[in-house]
Amino acid sequence: MSAVLQLKNVHKAFAGVPALAGVDAALMDNSYVSLLGPSGSGKTTLLRVIAGFEQPDGGEILFAGRRIDGVPPHERGIGFVFQNFALFPHLSVAQNIAFGLENRAVAPVTDAKAVTARVRDMIGLVGLTGLEDRAVTQISGGQKQRVALARTLVTEPSMVLLDEPLGALDANLRTRMRGELRTIRERCGVTFLHVTGSETEALAMGDTVLVLDRGRIAQATDAGTLYSRPASADVARFLNCYNIFSGAVSGNVFESPVGRLALGGVRQASGRPAYAIRYDRVAIRPRDAAAAGDEVRIEASFVASEYSGAAINSFFTLDDGRVFEVETHLSHAAPEAFEEKARYALVWKREDALVFV
Amino acid sequence: MTMAATSHDTPVETAAPSTRRQPDRTYWLLAPGVLWMLLFLVAPILMMVYVSFWTQTTFKIEPTLTLKSWITFFSSDTYLGALWTTVRIWLIVLVSTLLVGYPAALFVGLFVKNKTLSTALLVLCVIPFWTSFLIRVLAWRPMLGKEGAINMILMKLGIVTQPIEVLLFSELSVIIGMTQIYCVFMVGPIAFMLGRIDPSVIEAAQDLGASFWRIFRTIILPLSMPGVVVGAIFVSVMVLGEFATSAALSGRKVNLLGNIIVTQVGSLKWAFAAVAGVVLTILMGAVVAALLRVVDLRKEL
Repeated sequence: MSAVLQLKNVHKAFAGVPALAGVDAALMDNSYVSLLGPSGSGKTTLLRVIAGFEQPDGGEILFAGRRIDGVPPHERGIGFVFQNFALFPHLSVAQNIAFGLENRAVAPVTDAKAVTARVRDMIGLVGLTGLEDRAVTQISGGQKQRVALARTLVTEPSMVLLDEPLGALDANLRTRMRGELRTIRERCGVTFLHVTGSETEALAMGDTVLVLDRGRIAQATDAGTLYSRPASADVARFLNCYNIFSGAVSGNVFESPVGRLALGGVRQASGRPAYAIRYDRVAIRPRDAAAAGDEVRIEASFVASEYSGAAINSFFTLDDGRVFEVETHLSHAAPEAFEEKARYALVWKREDALVFV
Repeated sequence: MTMAATSHDTPVETAAPSTRRQPDRTYWLLAPGVLWMLLFLVAPILMMVYVSFWTQTTFKIEPTLTLKSWITFFSSDTYLGALWTTVRIWLIVLVSTLLVGYPAALFVGLFVKNKTLSTALLVLCVIPFWTSFLIRVLAWRPMLGKEGAINMILMKLGIVTQPIEVLLFSELSVIIGMTQIYCVFMVGPIAFMLGRIDPSVIEAAQDLGASFWRIFRTIILPLSMPGVVVGAIFVSVMVLGEFATSAALSGRKVNLLGNIIVTQVGSLKWAFAAVAGVVLTILMGAVVAALLRVVDLRKEL
């Protein structure tokens, strides 16, 4: 596999405020890439710069080996699926999908039969058969999503950018569309760059996950590595599954606001020292239970818990007022009952913690 | 109907009458409007139609029914000429307000991204309305006259050697005046419709490879059509009923149906004025009906 899109030190600022501060990335051909970032991290700006709706202030964008910064959007061969779908409200489903074929400036398809045939194939691919003549104002959110995708795919772009494509759908449909998006992508064999603010969506969808933080790519790796080995405390924070302490390493301990935590696991260089422990690696024990030699133990008082079926998340307050979260996977067990405001011991193995130095 | 049927089935009989009477009571909200329209719109129109069949002699008018006024109207070159002039000027002004107004609306409604600025620009369009209608019309005289501003500038620049006389007291001056006065009624509705177009829809069309003209023809123009139709209705109704602009700027050379009505009423020829009035009303009705067929406004707005 080769890189289809390469970004080299891409910069963009709005009225002096930097939105992209030197983005470097390479996207593999025929893959599903998700771009995760909190709101304000510049992910929509990055997408619009790649699509050509915004011009970068500096840096290079190479698409299929060719520099495309400065090339107008319609000559880039990159499809864009908008968050709000941006369907043409006065056209039917089939007319929306046919729009690009009939109206593009470069090599428009003038043969009406050829257009109809390609539109029909695409409607079949995205599962909209039977709705060809419906007005786009009369179909459901999931169907609109498919029209938006089909409208882009029918023009055979080499890459498709999706701006929070599932954001406008309800939770149930979102889960179903995840699978469908992946299937459709595999059938077309093009690269999808899927922008999302949801860490579960990014992990579930992407062959590669890019994490964007303050205008820079903070990490680019596969979902499994990202989840278990985030590159920095900030990335760990977006993943929404780590308790993070700031502080400093001194010798064999981490000096944190809640006390000295013994070290044993991997240390990663990240520039800013921090200590992170995953929610589901922590055990809750009675206060008088002793910790084993390879364990770290802190004390906290129980606040509340949130039951989500397969797991239960318990919230504790630490002595400095900070909230500490513990996720317990239930499998066959019944959820344990904890007493509100009572103190418990929170224990984890030294080597399970991630230490950033 | 279903409401009434269900309330009958309920065991609590006392609740039934009040639920049933509710829709009837809301109709009273219409009463003032309906009364007003009946007294001051429907009745006068019926009266006008009736009077158009009265017998008109030089000094008096009698309620004896006759077709004489109608026959005179349709057999006179002057009146048929006025009808044709009215239609011609209406069409020219409609096209010229569209040609001047649409690009302005396109700029204000679509290309000005800042909402406050686009509202401010629309308000600027209305500023001429702070002066009276008559002043706005008469102000064209020193502009267009033989020794008016435009001729003076053209002569100073050496573009013409003789003043262009056709500028004032001609059909051209009436068209120029009307275009200026009614243009804003075209700009407003179109800018409103263009402002409602989601910018990402246009970006999507760009991304799909369409050039600006393609996007304009296939997306922007169809989506702004309701605005064009509403603007055209405003302009048409006002231009078809015009008489002041042509009286002030044409030097009595351009006679519109409105001018005919004014003259006839002035010389107390009520039956004849009524005929012209009925013709004008029918013309306006036909124009509005035709414009409404272009776009289904109920669906689009």
